This record gives sequence, C-alpha cells and structure tokens, in this order.
Amino acid sequence: MLPYNLYLFFVFVAIDVPSLKCGDVAHLSASESADKLEAVPSLSTAAVSSPVPAVDTGFSFSLLSSFPEDLEVSDYCSDLLHIFGQRYVAYVNCLVPAARPVKVCQSCYSTYGSVVEIYKNISSDQMGPGNVTCRDSLLRSDRLMLVYQLYSNLESLWEDSNCAQCVTGDLESLTNDTLYFMSTLNQTLTCFEKYQQGNHTELCKNCKSAYGTLNVLYSQMEKNSTLCIDIEDAMNMTRRLWSKNFNCSFPREENVPVIAVSSFMLFLPIIFYLSSFLHSEQKKRKLIHPRRAKSNTSLMNIQDKLS
Amino acid sequence: MANITKKVSWSSRGDDSALTGEGTPLLNGTEIPKPSRKDPIRGRPKEIPHNEKLLSLKYESLDYDNIENQLFLEEERRMSPMGFRCLEISRWVICGLIGILTGLIACFIDIMVEKLAGYKYQVIKENIEKFTEVGGLSISLILWAVLNCAFVLVGGIMVAFFEPIAAGSGIPQIKCYLNGVKIPRVVRLKTLVVKVIGVICSVAGGLAVGKEGPMIHSGAVVAAGVSQGRSTSLKRDFKMFEYFRRDTEKRDFVSAGAAAGVSAAFGAPVGGVLFSLEEGASFWNQMLTWRIFFASMISTFTLNFFLSIYHGKPGDLSNPGLINFGRFESDSVAYYYYEIPLFMCMGALGGLLGALFNSINYWLTIFRIRYVHRPCLQVIEALLVAAVTAAVSFTMIYFSNDCQPLGPEHNEEYPLQLFCADGEYNAMATAFFNTPERSVRSLFHNQPGSYNPMTLGLFTLTYFFLACWTYGLAVSAGVFIPSLLIGAAWGRLCGILLASFTPTSPIWADPGKYALIGAAAQLGGIVRMTLSLTVIMVEATGNVTYGLPIMLVLMIAKIVGDYFQEGLYDIHIKLQSVPFLHWEAPATSHWLTAREVMSSPVTCFNRIEKVGTIVDVLSNTSTNHNGFPVVVQVLDSDEPAKLCGLILRSQLIVLLKHKVFVELARSRLSQRKLQLKDFRDAYPRFPPIQSIHVSQDERECMMDLTEFMNPTPYTVPQDTSLPRVFKLFRALGLRHLVVADDVNRVIGLVTRKDLARYHLGKHGLEELQLAQT
Repeated sequence: MLPYNLYLFFVFVAIDVPSLKCGDVAHLSASESADKLEAVPSLSTAAVSSPVPAVDTGFSFSLLSSFPEDLEVSDYCSDLLHIFGQRYVAYVNCLVPAARPVKVCQSCYSTYGSVVEIYKNISSDQMGPGNVTCRDSLLRSDRLMLVYQLYSNLESLWEDSNCAQCVTGDLESLTNDTLYFMSTLNQTLTCFEKYQQGNHTELCKNCKSAYGTLNVLYSQMEKNSTLCIDIEDAMNMTRRLWSKNFNCSFPREENVPVIAVSSFMLFLPIIFYLSSFLHSEQKKRKLIHPRRAKSNTSLMNIQDKLS
Repeated sequence: MANITKKVSWSSRGDDSALTGEGTPLLNGTEIPKPSRKDPIRGRPKEIPHNEKLLSLKYESLDYDNIENQLFLEEERRMSPMGFRCLEISRWVICGLIGILTGLIACFIDIMVEKLAGYKYQVIKENIEKFTEVGGLSISLILWAVLNCAFVLVGGIMVAFFEPIAAGSGIPQIKCYLNGVKIPRVVRLKTLVVKVIGVICSVAGGLAVGKEGPMIHSGAVVAAGVSQGRSTSLKRDFKMFEYFRRDTEKRDFVSAGAAAGVSAAFGAPVGGVLFSLEEGASFWNQMLTWRIFFASMISTFTLNFFLSIYHGKPGDLSNPGLINFGRFESDSVAYYYYEIPLFMCMGALGGLLGALFNSINYWLTIFRIRYVHRPCLQVIEALLVAAVTAAVSFTMIYFSNDCQPLGPEHNEEYPLQLFCADGEYNAMATAFFNTPERSVRSLFHNQPGSYNPMTLGLFTLTYFFLACWTYGLAVSAGVFIPSLLIGAAWGRLCGILLASFTPTSPIWADPGKYALIGAAAQLGGIVRMTLSLTVIMVEATGNVTYGLPIMLVLMIAKIVGDYFQEGLYDIHIKLQSVPFLHWEAPATSHWLTAREVMSSPVTCFNRIEKVGTIVDVLSNTSTNHNGFPVVVQVLDSDEPAKLCGLILRSQLIVLLKHKVFVELARSRLSQRKLQLKDFRDAYPRFPPIQSIHVSQDERECMMDLTEFMNPTPYTVPQDTSLPRVFKLFRALGLRHLVVADDVNRVIGLVTRKDLARYHLGKHGLEELQLAQT
C-alpha cells in the first residue's frame, strides 16, 4: 500500500512543478529548497498572482494574464498558497527517504504538522487582512481543486500509515509507548549484532529474552491499537530476521509422540466397529404379510403381455 | 426369464437370500400371495436383517382430509362471519409468533456456539502455544480430543437416551411430516429442547457438522407447538387457537415453521418459502404461501435484530442469517460466459463426489442400524468420532508446512503459529482449527494465495471422510455446512489450479468465486435439492448475478448424482422404512389396479354397531387398523352391506371414552351432546384403547356412528390404476381410500403403505415388505 501511495505522490509533485514553472523559473529553483523560498516573496507573489483558473491550464497563462481586479487572488491568499507549497515540498522531501525501511511517522510528523497548520489557515473562514478569506478562492473555484486534492492525498497517506497512533495529538512529539518500543527494539537489535557472527544457536539462546520482551510489548500494543506503520514494519523486519535469517523458530521435533497418540485414537474406532460387529446382536425385522385379494387372471394376462 | 429364476430361488431358500439384502420379491403377480399362503403354515414370523426395502408399521398417516360429519357442519353453522375473520387473523398472528420464536432460537444457538467454541479454541490455542515452546504437543492433542469428547458426550447422551428422533439434521423427518407421515414424537417440545442443546454441543464439540439443518427442525417444532396453543408435555393449555387442533391446520403451520427455520439459518426468506414448497408441495395455496413468507421474513429479521444487539449495534437489521457467507461484491468476482463450461464441469464433479458421499454414508447407516443400535454404543461411537476428528485435525495442522503472513484485518479468529515463522500462521489451522462456518467463510473470502493447493487437497480429502462418517451419528447435526466446506475447499483448489495454468490473466480465476461454485456443486450433489437450494445460495451470498451459474451447477450435480445414488435425505428416509410418497407413482405401474394394491378383506362396522364388537376390533393388536368403512345393511334382505361412511380409530376412542351409546342417550336425556371440541381436546395424543374401561353391560350397548363418521369418503372403482390412486393420495393428502364395486360394496381399502411399497428398482417394479420395527 505504502509504496503505491508514494508513487502517487511523485506524480502529484510532478504535476505541481510545471504549473509553477509557467509562473516563474525562479520560483521553481526556489521550490527546491525550502529555506530559499522565504527570501523571494515578491517573485512568488508575481508568479501566482494570475487568477486561480489559470493554475489548471498552465499553458494559457499568457492569454489570461489580465483578469479584472475582483477576480484575482488577493496577495494574502497567494502568500498562503506559497507557504503551503513550501511546506508541502518539505514534507514530501522528508517522506521519500523514509519509505524503506519505513520511518514516515518518526521522521516526518513535524513537517506534516506544519502542512496541517497552513491548510487550516487556508480553509478557515476567518477573515484575513483586508477582509478576505482564501477558502473559496483557493480551494473550490475550479473543477480540479488542486490544493484540496494535494492535501487530501497527504491526509489519506497519514491515515493509512496510522501515524496518529504513534504521535501525540498536537503533532509535537512521539508518544511514550512508541519511544519505549523503539528503545526495546534497539536492545534486541544490539543483541542480534553482538551474536551475529558465529553460531546462530548461540544467538537464539541469548537474545531470546530480549526478543520475547519485544514480542510481548508488540502484541500488547496491538491490543491497545497503538501501532503505526513504523512499528509494524520494524517488528516485521525483526521477526523475519529472527525466524528466517537466524532460524530461531521452534523446530518440529515431537513427531513420534504425536503420531503415536493420533494413531492410537484412529485405532479405537476400528476396535469399536469390529467388536460391535462381532458381539452386538444384529437387529432383525419381523416381516408382516398384509392381507391381499387373491391373485386374479387379469394381472396374469398383463404379465404375459409384458413378458 | 432371469427374473423368474431369481424369484424361485428366493421362495425356496427363504431366510438365507434375505441376508444378502436382495430379498425383495420382484413384482410378478402370481407370486405375491404365495408368502401369505405359506406363512400360516410355518407359523412364525419371518425375520430378516434391516435393509432399505422395508416399510415400517410404526409410521402412520396424518389425517389431512377434512371430516365433514354432522358435528362439523353444525359448528360451521354456528360460527359467525366475524368468527371466520378472527380465525384468519389468528393464523397471521401464529405465523408471526412462529417467526419470532424461531428467530430467537436461532439467535440462542448462534450465541451459545460462538461462546462455547470460542472458549474451547482459546484454551487449546493457549495450550498449544505453551507446548510449542517447551515441548509436549501430544498433550495439547489429548486436551483437544478430551474437550471435543466432553461436549459431544453431553449432546450424545441427550440424543441417544432422551430423544433419539432428535438425531441428525431433522430435514428427512420434516420432509416426511410434510409428506403426510406421522413420525412419532417429531414435533414435541422435548425434541426441540434436545435438538437445540444437542446441536450446540455437537458444533462446539468440533464435529464436522453444521447447525442449519437442526434449525429447520426446530422451526417446525415451534410451529407445531405455537399453533396448538398448548403443550401436552408441560400439561399447559392456554385455551388458545383451539380451532387449529387437527392435522390439516397443523401441517400448514409446520410448513411455515420449516420455512422460518431455513430463513433464520441462511438469512434466506424466499429460499425458506421455496424449501417448504419443494418438500411439502402437495398441499399448497397462494394465501398459505403469503403467510409462510411472512413467517420467514419475521424470523430472519428477529434474528438480525437480536444479533445486532448482541454485536453491540442495536437496530442494525442488515446482519444476515446464521451462516453468513459474506458478500461477493467486488469486481474481481465477476464472471464471464467462457467460465460457464468450467462451472458445469465442477457441477458434474460435485455430483460424482456427492454420490460417493451418499454411497459411503448409506453403507455406514445400514451398519449402524444393524449393529450400533444400543444407546450406549451410539454415545461411544459419537465420542470416538469426536476424538478422531480432533486427532486428524491436529495431525494435519502439525505436519502442515503452509505458512501464511497474518493479514492486516485479522480474518483468522484463532491463528495458530506452531512452527511457522513469527508473524505468520498455519494455513491448515484456519481450515481445521475453527468452527466449520468460519472455515467456509475464509475459503470464500480470503485473499488469493492464502492457501496452498496441497493444504486444500489434504483438507478436502480428510474432511470428506470425516463429514461422511459423522452424518448419521446419534447427535443433532446438519450436513449443509460440511458439504459446503468440502465443496468450497476443492472449488478453491480448482480456482488456484486454473489461475496457475493461465498466469497472464489472474482475475478470471479468483479462487473465492470457484470456492462458491464448488460449494454449491458439492451441496447439490449430496442433498439434491434444486430450486430452493439455488435461491438459498443466491440469498446467502447476497448476489443475484450468481443465480445462473449456481442453478446450472446444481442442475448438473443433480443429474450426475442421481445416475449413481439418491440424495442423502431420501436415503435416510428409505432406511427408516418410512412409507414416503414421492411426486409420482413409479413409472411402469399403470398395469397395477386398485384391486391388486388394496388390502382386503376390510374390517367394517355397521352404522349402528355393538360396543363390544368395536372394542374387540380396536383391541386386536394384530390388525392395528385406523380407518373403518361404515356400512349399512338393509334389514331382512340378503343384499350385501353398502358403504355409507368412514370412521377413524381416534374418533371411536373419543366416542367410547364419552360413552356415547344409544341406550344411555335414551335413559339420560340431559346428557351433553358431543361436540367437535371434544375430539380436538383429545388431539393429538389419543389414549390407547387399553386405557378405556368398558364394562360388561356396556359391551351390549349399541353405538350410532351416523353423526360422527365421514359420510362422503373418497372411493374408487376396483379397476382404477395405481398412478390414479397415487395422484388422489398425493393431491388430497388422503389416509384411507375405499375401493368399492359397482353396487357400492366395500371390497378393499387402500392406505399409504399399500402405495408406498411399490418402487422402481434395478430390475423393474419391486415391492417393499412390511416389517415391525
């Protein structure tokens, strides 16, 4: 699921970039670095000062450059849009390297928080300076609703990854549970590293307690539903290491008793049926002969005809 | 000529050839009277081992024919139009009650099974987890077997010692009841209680059984109980619904109850109605259909309502029946025209496997009837099956190498890890370590790739034999779910194999879809139901688009299966020696006339008969007749007596009990006139004749039967062909049919057993023998 979403992400970014490019090349270069972006407000304002419909048909930019005043997006809104773009890019830049092994929650929750914050500003119906709200002009003036789409994609990604379970409500920090899990995980992994050389049976024996604690903790968190994709993925990797790489699963070594017990049980019905066949009295039925009319000739005739 | 040689050897060898099970005489006219002539000479009744070609004397017919005697006419005259309207309303009320109570019972069974099975599997799972680590898994195996046995022991003892009629699914018995056969104790309250507890125990005990068949029986018992407004077992009479205390009315309600049972079991109200139609179709009308549908609908939604409360979503009525196949809705389970031939092949395979299943079960059942007939042996057998089921399941799980990763949504109720890597579970355990219904659901809906072909193959094989072995034990248990499970397993296997042959387009071989088709094929191959089963499957999956393939599959499964062996329910009806009347008379029987079919001579009564004669006839145990033609003898003439009516044993007993004698009526003018109510109060358990005391003086009294007899019994001339007689019986629900000659003299009486004994065997028309069982 996750890789697919990330792929979608790239598509969105790719769409995003050309539309900005039409506005200003400087903007594009700026967009590559979140830091520089702050330094060029005027340029970017100029860039997005075109009316909103122009965004979805970037090629017609030059034709539509002169809409009447009242249809154009206010400076305030275009500022907001700009900041949204910066933060968006920052978040995506954070996400992509965290794709494998999955660390999207731990490393990017703060950038996600900033995106949420700016989107809240855009979508709020509070009046900004100059008595304008940007909600209508930025979010729903056209069919594409690009800003909204971009944001809702991020949101669904956040939901799919269950990151909310690992991050505190205000998106300020990781929860204590998560931190504790990470530290337990680190202990286990250190143990693995320590015994990795040499015989794996040694490793299985010595790291069993650490691994066991981790497993118990994990299933406990599973019950409380405090799992996010980071933890699940880390646990999966650890389990794979444990079971597949180090081969510490339980061996199947009780074949003889199991076979013995079950064949004993299979044997019982045979004895039962044999003994009931030999010793039980067979149920007999008494036949009763009904009273019938004496046979008659007409039936005989039909019989003769039939045969 | 071959027939004749065979017949000669039969009559000369006597008992010996009967042992081979081929002792049925071929119907060849001349030989029929031979045994009856020989028998008195030998002077002892012939004894043969039980086989399928017998008719038991134990079973009697129900009186579906309305007796229009003078009492009836009087009552009808007294009743106001308002009274009739009230009757009509109370019919609807009863149907509503039937639906509600059946739904509640279904709900109770469902919750109890879930709780008990959940507890059992939790205990075993913890035990297995513990012993996987430290060793000693054979102890878990024993624990599993012991827990299974404990549940089955309770259920088995209940059934074998308290109410043997509650064994099995109950569908054959209800089928017989709707056909017009009175199966003793089949619709009693005690049967219901034993059935419900029994089915909970056997499903929780891990047997290869389902709880759906017993639901149908339970619904029927509820209907029979509610419609009578009293319980003879509890000795409570609520003084309600007294008008419905006769077989005709009761049968209508029982068909509604059976429908309500099906509808609660599968969440299929229409399927329930059609089930009643298919199994009891000889008596039917539109108004009744509509009422039955009402009962079915109420039953489904009562179940939904209470389950929604149980699941913490009160008011959500969309929760389907006991067996919930889940919904087949996504695009991946669409099917295309080129898959139809594949489905049809699967139908043929289902028919073959079904016939195999039925054949094995047939021999097993014969063995059980002959040798395992003592209740304690039956309980031990059930225990052994439970233990072996646990042992086989455990061994399968233990040696399975099929490990699958745990899904994100946790389809598996009790995932067992055993020797799989952490985070994975044993796929064999999802099939075996689960109630059969959940296994069916996971076979239908789990992602492609959740099962190895190897796992499925082994599972099909073992479960086939387990289910076959289990059906017919002395526990209440249905065969629907095991059949579905077997079919779903090999169907899914087919799907997986198809997908592996065509790697380019994986969509058209979605294994869940093939699991559904396989399940339908297998079930159709075993029970051979057609119309109702199609609708039940369609309703249970909630997808009408599967109607066509399911119908085709069931058709083909039935055709292929019927070529080898009858349906499972028919086999069991036959082995119970029930005089069951099929849809049609046997094909080549037109040459048989009423004269050959009827019993003769007939015991008749005069219209004014001496009490002593009546008591003597009724007390005669060798001729346990139930209907007596009433004749009138023209005084002082040599003319033979002519038929003027028909009276039933039950009526005579009520008359004797109330001492309705001509002399007494004269002497005591104040005596209350007997009403129809007196007959209804005695229904359905009329006292035996032995319990009625008739003094020596009273024996000399006379009894006037004119008022009470049925003055217009159906009669046929003696040359009427068997199919014609058969049709009358089947369509009118007759119990006795008088054969009269051209001057209306009684020359014979045809009853159900006279008709049911003819059937088409391998060598043409054969005759079944009457036997005491």
